[in-house]
Amino acid sequence: MFFRLLMESFRRQRRRKLLAGLAILLGTTAVTAMLALATTIGDRIHQELAVYGANIVVYPAADQLEVKVGGVDVKPVSGGALLHESDLAKLRGIFWANNITGVSPELPIRVVGKTASGMSVDAAATGLWFDHFLGKADALKTGTAAMHPWWKIQGSWPKEEATTDTGSEAVAGTVLASHLHLTPGTVIQTNAGGNTASRSLRITGIVSAGDDTDNQLLLPLNAAQQIAGTPDAVRRVEVSARTKPEDTFARKDPDTLSPAQREIWYCRPYANSIAYQIREAIPGARAEQVRRVEQSEGTVLKRISGLMWLISAAALLAAGFAVSAAMATAILERQGEIGLMRSLGASKTTVALLFYTEAGLLAVFAGGLGYLAGSGLAGWLGARIFASEGPASAGSLLIPVLFPVVVTLALLVALAGSTPAIRRALTTDPSAILRAGA
Amino acid sequence: MSGLSMSSILRRSLIHRRTRSFSALIALTVSAAVATALLTLYADLDSKLHREFRSFGANVVVTAPDQAHGLPPDTLKKIGLVTSPDARIAEFGYAVATTDRGTPVVVAGTDFGAIRELNSWWQVDTWPSSTQTDVALLGQRAAQFVTNEHSVQLDFAGHPLTLRGVGKLRTGGDEDSRIYLPLAAFSAWTGTQASVIEIQIPGGASEVEASITRLREALPGMKVEPVRQLVEGESRIVDKTHALMYGAVLLIALTVAVSVLATLSASVLERRRDFALMKALGGTQSSLMAMFLFEALILALGGVVAGYVLGSAAAWTIGKINFHTASWPRIGVLPLVLLLNLVIATLAALLPVRVLRSLEPAALLKGE
Repeated sequence: MFFRLLMESFRRQRRRKLLAGLAILLGTTAVTAMLALATTIGDRIHQELAVYGANIVVYPAADQLEVKVGGVDVKPVSGGALLHESDLAKLRGIFWANNITGVSPELPIRVVGKTASGMSVDAAATGLWFDHFLGKADALKTGTAAMHPWWKIQGSWPKEEATTDTGSEAVAGTVLASHLHLTPGTVIQTNAGGNTASRSLRITGIVSAGDDTDNQLLLPLNAAQQIAGTPDAVRRVEVSARTKPEDTFARKDPDTLSPAQREIWYCRPYANSIAYQIREAIPGARAEQVRRVEQSEGTVLKRISGLMWLISAAALLAAGFAVSAAMATAILERQGEIGLMRSLGASKTTVALLFYTEAGLLAVFAGGLGYLAGSGLAGWLGARIFASEGPASAGSLLIPVLFPVVVTLALLVALAGSTPAIRRALTTDPSAILRAGA
Repeated sequence: MSGLSMSSILRRSLIHRRTRSFSALIALTVSAAVATALLTLYADLDSKLHREFRSFGANVVVTAPDQAHGLPPDTLKKIGLVTSPDARIAEFGYAVATTDRGTPVVVAGTDFGAIRELNSWWQVDTWPSSTQTDVALLGQRAAQFVTNEHSVQLDFAGHPLTLRGVGKLRTGGDEDSRIYLPLAAFSAWTGTQASVIEIQIPGGASEVEASITRLREALPGMKVEPVRQLVEGESRIVDKTHALMYGAVLLIALTVAVSVLATLSASVLERRRDFALMKALGGTQSSLMAMFLFEALILALGGVVAGYVLGSAAAWTIGKINFHTASWPRIGVLPLVLLLNLVIATLAALLPVRVLRSLEPAALLKGE
């Protein structure tokens, strides 16, 4: 009998069920979409903030002082300590390896030579990775161009595969290029040094960076190492990592913490802990967070994700209210029915159970649909707003963890919203309801 | 309907069915409050975000064409005249000196008060006061190349200088390898003036562009360059957050609107019996609809008044919690909120009209 009442109620009162169901559906859609966006906003904003450059820098511990003003090396360090390029693969083995999104080693050198038209060249140059695969399996494709998205290239970036024993490709900064009349296709012949042979550098593009890089030549790291005669050498490494904004705990010195606390510190993706792990992984290296980028990124990220969470809370509140109001209306409309059932001998428990079951079924069904719709909506919104790298992000917002959360919320709100109405209907005398309805 | 005036029917309907009127009022209040809060935050969003981006420091750099001569002494004043009063400005002079261990080191003269405001990301244990002249801030790497951190012996082209190192500086950038001292002491010692001025111009890309144009006009011969990645990155992120917020506002407003609509039209439908009775007593279709409509509009107005207050309070709280600055109530959002609520109320009253029109009063009153 109970089952039949339930079935008939859904079959015959389609309009009422539709209305309450629609409220639940829309509410869960909004909540799911906002929660899905709020949980993924960190990664998206991190991607956007990548334009500010690396947030961790690695240099040799035994380094000399850099004598740089405005990005220009006033007294270039000759000799000096160097890191090993081959050690960088170890970055893929640290605890937070998956949070490292970019690695860009640098080797500053000096290129002295002549262009084909006979102009003499004496320019600062930097050896860099352009499209390098770091690690063996599931290698991280990284390089300087991806980490400096504000660099504009006319032509193409040099390829490290093109480096041979006698020559390689290179790009020139705009200022240098206009001084030396360099265009894509120009070849610079370097002078033979003490233990290095003369090599040719073929210009493949002109780069505009808006800083001192405009006065430089950029060439693949392996070519720079050959010109300088220092195989495997790297002067400095920029690392871009996804981090957790710094808090008081992050600023603690891990060596002064208790073992348990140190473990917690180590296993949180603070810039400080990632820098600490890089120091451990690469012998003779010092890693520092670049505070200008890291600290400010942290603030911006905290504000934007904070805003998203607060709006999600607002959405939750609004949806909760809407659902409970719709449920209450749906039940109040059926007072007559309740009066009839009671006068025919149904106990209060049975009637309450019937209405609660109806509300529950509706919440689970509409909530599930709302979860799907919200995930789709969040994916669509995210892809439209942050449309940048590839179409892959479109369907990736189906967050399974949210499913039980959203359905449980829908269930709780629907049941809670029905309660006052059910109680009121049950406490009213059936005969009064029936007489009023007649 | 001749005996009963419209207003008395309305009044009685609102008063006698208090619970139902009340729940409809609450629904409309919530929709107005949500709309007010979101719109207020949305209108304030750009200025709030740009404020956060100020922590990245200078976005425009003015450099002297000739490093050795430095900038003309009145440059700072000229910059102050063409930039907005809340721009943060700090000047720097650079020279290469030698430490007592014989290592070349970059020394920079600056104004500690200005730099502290401009470069909030600098981690400094103790800031030197801006009134003392013989104090120095040591970059953490530079500090390793002096014998005594509290009495720093430096030499510039045969001129010795001893400074009291009061604090250490950590930034992870070039600053780590430098020693900072007050600009006046720097100029007296090295004989050079400030050669670089860093400016933080508040606002988006267009404000920065406009300021750069004004600066170039005011400072002929100087190099005025934006810090490209900062300016570009800031507008990208602000634009995207703006778009995200816009999506969220629309989504939530839609949810609330449809739910309120559902609640309200249900309450209209619930009164089919009243409708039938009035029709049987001679009310015309349009006068009945007008009555429903009026009732809904009165409730909608009440909802806007209460919702505007509640929503403004919510926006203020969210602004305070998240951005640490308040979002003040904006009267400009009121027309939009009012429009939204009136549309919802009108739709709620008019949607059930088709159902009501097809009713046969006699059948309904008989109880079928």
